[in-house]
Amino acid sequence: MSMLSVKGITKRFGGVTAVDDVSFEVFEGTIHAVIGPNGAGKSTAFNVMTGFDRPDEGSVVFEGATITGMRPHRIVRLGVVRTFQNTMLFDEMTALENVLVGMHARTRVGFLGAALSLPGVRAEERLVREQAHRILRLVDMDDVHAVPAGDLPHGQRRLLEIARALATEPRIMLLDEPAAGLNNVETAQLGETLRRIRDTGVTVVIVEHDMGLVMEVSDEIVVLNEGRKIAEGPPLLIQKDPAVIEAYLGEEAPDA
Amino acid sequence: MRGSIRAIAIIALTIGVAITPFVMTDRYILRILTFVGINLIMVAGLSLLFGYAGQISLGQAAFYGLGAYTSGYLAKAGVPWLLALVGGVAVAAIGGLLIALPSLRLKGHYLAMATLGFGEIMLFFFTETESVTGGSNGLRGIPAASIGPLEFATPVAKYFLVWSVVAIVLVLAANIVRRRPGRALRAIHGSETGAQACGIDTVRVKIQVFVLSAGLGGLAGVLYAHYVGFVSPSTFTLHYSLILVTMVALGGMGSLGGAVAGTVLLTLLPYVDAIIPGLPRSTVELIQDWTNDIYGMVLILVMLFMPRGLAGWATSLVGRLGGRDRAGGSVHQGGGA
Repeated sequence: MSMLSVKGITKRFGGVTAVDDVSFEVFEGTIHAVIGPNGAGKSTAFNVMTGFDRPDEGSVVFEGATITGMRPHRIVRLGVVRTFQNTMLFDEMTALENVLVGMHARTRVGFLGAALSLPGVRAEERLVREQAHRILRLVDMDDVHAVPAGDLPHGQRRLLEIARALATEPRIMLLDEPAAGLNNVETAQLGETLRRIRDTGVTVVIVEHDMGLVMEVSDEIVVLNEGRKIAEGPPLLIQKDPAVIEAYLGEEAPDA
Repeated sequence: MRGSIRAIAIIALTIGVAITPFVMTDRYILRILTFVGINLIMVAGLSLLFGYAGQISLGQAAFYGLGAYTSGYLAKAGVPWLLALVGGVAVAAIGGLLIALPSLRLKGHYLAMATLGFGEIMLFFFTETESVTGGSNGLRGIPAASIGPLEFATPVAKYFLVWSVVAIVLVLAANIVRRRPGRALRAIHGSETGAQACGIDTVRVKIQVFVLSAGLGGLAGVLYAHYVGFVSPSTFTLHYSLILVTMVALGGMGSLGGAVAGTVLLTLLPYVDAIIPGLPRSTVELIQDWTNDIYGMVLILVMLFMPRGLAGWATSLVGRLGGRDRAGGSVHQGGGA
């Protein structure tokens, strides 16, 4: 059974249909890529899948529960987390604090408990700090834990957003162009990180333009063009698909 | 290093506050310092809302007024002070909830306008509901605070009452900001979208902190009413709300310590003659005549040139003094400042 089902979602902005009756299934334990030329509707599909946009038609089902129309924080609590094309970090907060915020949904302490330092508050704080350091080590960033996110270089900002998403203890992670702006070395490291994340049991969905990365890490690829799904399958088949080649050559050749 | 400097500063301030009434016998100075305390309670709330969560309120004076009138009215009707206090805080918090529900969907300028409008409406309300508030003549003869047989009637007793509450409020607020809810507030300030993606119910957290800041405003209002014994609408103006915003901005967004420093400095400004004896009379008059202009200038200059406020300035100073020994030149610069 699939973990996440996208069922015929359509999203219109005024007269423009950004996503047009798109369906696909994501299976547990895989890395699933969503590709397509600029304006194909990839980010809109992500927004709909994570509650940041409501679809005009269709639904998204995660582990048997319909999540369409739920507010984003509820969807995160169910185990569906995302990152953004333009990283949405908390620039004034340190790398560690960013990861700590990621743990918000899995922790309890509220205003009253924190204010009065009720029993358990210190223990929880110590626990989440240890856990946050562990997550930073996972992406090789524990040495910069005290640096404000706004002062980190681009590549580390991307990684930090992934680390923060991991902190929510997701079942599935949707990454919107995680390789954008990364150099070759960083992209290779990212591919390694994605596989490591999958191997810990987290399912991964990526929207990505870097074809080298997509072909290397994905188990399954969905191709969108002008809002519609034009192909679906494993990387080797997608590379040979005539509709895909036409969609890309019509605009611009893929990077790889 | 920074932690120990902070600890020393907090201990020194606490001792200073505690011994002041025994050293300073001048009632006028005690009165000024009591007002500093009342403002600190207001600003603690606004700092959480505006300084940490980035949600502006130009209507804090309304909550101050709600607390003051409610408690004053109840106490005059014979309700024990502690109950009147609870009533004042509750009415202010409920007022905060009622304005938060519709307006926290608004952002930036719109939230500013909504809270400003609320402040003006409440001011009108305080003036017009004469049977309860005494209208523009005000509410007179509010009894001093008392807990059972213990009455806070003397200036020294009132001073200690207010500053005890200040200490409690600041400790509780400091606990909030360094734990999970404080991080959620700063996250909302940094990126609301990012906060939602971390599983934070941003609407709920914003309502919570708005109600909290309104409740603290009400608490300050209660202390004010029973300190002065008289409440009238002219206290609860937009002007006061703006000064509170200036205090938080001067201190630095996202810093309680900064907000405390900003509050102390700006509250003392018009009373500079009492705090620094021997200041030339012409200087004192100049400052007093231009107090409001100075507040306005401070707000503009801080926003333009010191966006991190006093706290940011202090942090970089400590960093320069303690961080690197090689930066010898800048140590001298910093030391002179």
